[in-house]
Amino acid sequence: MFGYVEPDKPELKIWEFDVFRGYYCGLCRAIKKRYGQIPRLTLNYDMAFLYVLLDSLSPDPVTGKMQRCFVHPTKKRYIIAPNIYAEYTADMNIILMYYNLIDKWKDEKNFPAGTGALVLKKAYKKSRKLYPEKCEAIETHLKRLAELEANNCDSIDEAAEPFALIMRELFECGHIKDEAERKTLGWLGYNLGRWIYIIDAYDDIEKDYSRKAYNPLISQYSFDGNDIKGFKETIKEKADFILTYSLSEAEKAYSLLTIEKNKGILDNILYSGLIARTDRVLGERGRSNEKESV
Amino acid sequence: MKKNPYKVLGIKAGASYDEIKRAYRELAKKYHPDRYRNNPLADLAEEKMREINEAYEYLMKNAGASYQYQGGYEQSYDNSGAYQGQYQSQQQSSYQSEYKTRYKYEEEADWESRVRTYINSGNLNEAQRILDRVTTRNAAWYYLQGLVFLRRGWFDRGFSNIQKAVNMDPSNFEYRNALNNLNQQNTGYRQNYYYRNTYHSSPDMCNLCLNLWCADTCCECMGGDLISCC
Repeated sequence: MFGYVEPDKPELKIWEFDVFRGYYCGLCRAIKKRYGQIPRLTLNYDMAFLYVLLDSLSPDPVTGKMQRCFVHPTKKRYIIAPNIYAEYTADMNIILMYYNLIDKWKDEKNFPAGTGALVLKKAYKKSRKLYPEKCEAIETHLKRLAELEANNCDSIDEAAEPFALIMRELFECGHIKDEAERKTLGWLGYNLGRWIYIIDAYDDIEKDYSRKAYNPLISQYSFDGNDIKGFKETIKEKADFILTYSLSEAEKAYSLLTIEKNKGILDNILYSGLIARTDRVLGERGRSNEKESV
Repeated sequence: MKKNPYKVLGIKAGASYDEIKRAYRELAKKYHPDRYRNNPLADLAEEKMREINEAYEYLMKNAGASYQYQGGYEQSYDNSGAYQGQYQSQQQSSYQSEYKTRYKYEEEADWESRVRTYINSGNLNEAQRILDRVTTRNAAWYYLQGLVFLRRGWFDRGFSNIQKAVNMDPSNFEYRNALNNLNQQNTGYRQNYYYRNTYHSSPDMCNLCLNLWCADTCCECMGGDLISCC
């Protein structure tokens, strides 16, 4: 489910990529500082995006320095000094990953996931204490998601809603004091969450079908059981519409935010990275200028 | 004026008339009410539009003094004024027509106008409650149900409901307009993406960079380095 949000790397300037990676490393450090070494492994680019976005709303200058890091010992890297947004994103990352692992363990009896959840449990309890309301809201959405899956929900909108609401919860960060800004972030999060859920569903059609697992697209467009590749091809246009529309709504929310810094990076993700990723999953590489994101 | 007008338009202080005008046009397109129709953030976009208009008017009046002597600018000022006027009148007329249609519906059926009011004020639960109780599902019902879905972010259902409204009543301009608008949002977003990519670099340059990057990565794998900076 995670890791779909990414920059369109070939379009990024080299220094911009360094800064983006600096944020990622800063976030990784924040996790280590708060929760220890092992929870660091759960970090993904979606969370790095959230961190960059939240931090870019404040006019404070970026501070960071070239440092060596335990994970990449050979080269010194630019690492951004963690601030409150890094801490917030780190906490949210732990909460989300813990639920994700628990879910995998319950659903598939996936042993590594179960072990991971056990390892994360202490970190999760710590972050839960900091954000009890957020955790409760996320739990409600996850419960709803499990219900929809159990009932083989045949509406992509309905199935995508709980995850979209979870992302909205994450994006509506309490450190952002301006209410209109929080609402805008929430709509960005909602649509991004919707996009992540649907693109993941499309990506996993074959896998879910062969494992007889729930997939909202198979349910909505009632697959007849013949040719799964052909089925994927026939719903491509529909999927393209829903995905692109969700992105265009996310972009509308984004353009209402006052971005104080890192505009190049965020623009790259919102205007290029996400749509390039969509095209790649939909298998339309040829359309995007015959260029692959690396 | 609360905010720095140059900052609002995203330009450097002392920008020329042409730059101001270009920035204004770009932003006016970006925050145009048409783009934010059926979006829960429509009120924020409207506020932004007002800010941009104020900043533009302010700059056109006040930054003008230093450019008066250079000649030729006066004309462009006139042009830009006309453009803005055009935009405002468009906006006004769309409000007027909206008012008219709303008025018309009040006469026709009570639930329709109530649903519309709730949608406009953002109270989607109430709008949905009324829609659920309506038994005759005509084109207007599907259209309004579509709008509620769009506002909630349920675009798949929103699209199919509005499509249904258009199929049931193909002559209705409002429904067709909404459907076109939905399709336009998507192409607009995509165009932006393709435009950006071709604008920054021609495909050949792109390939060149990619090949260089590949070569560099290969070299790095083998322990060497082709381009030292990355």
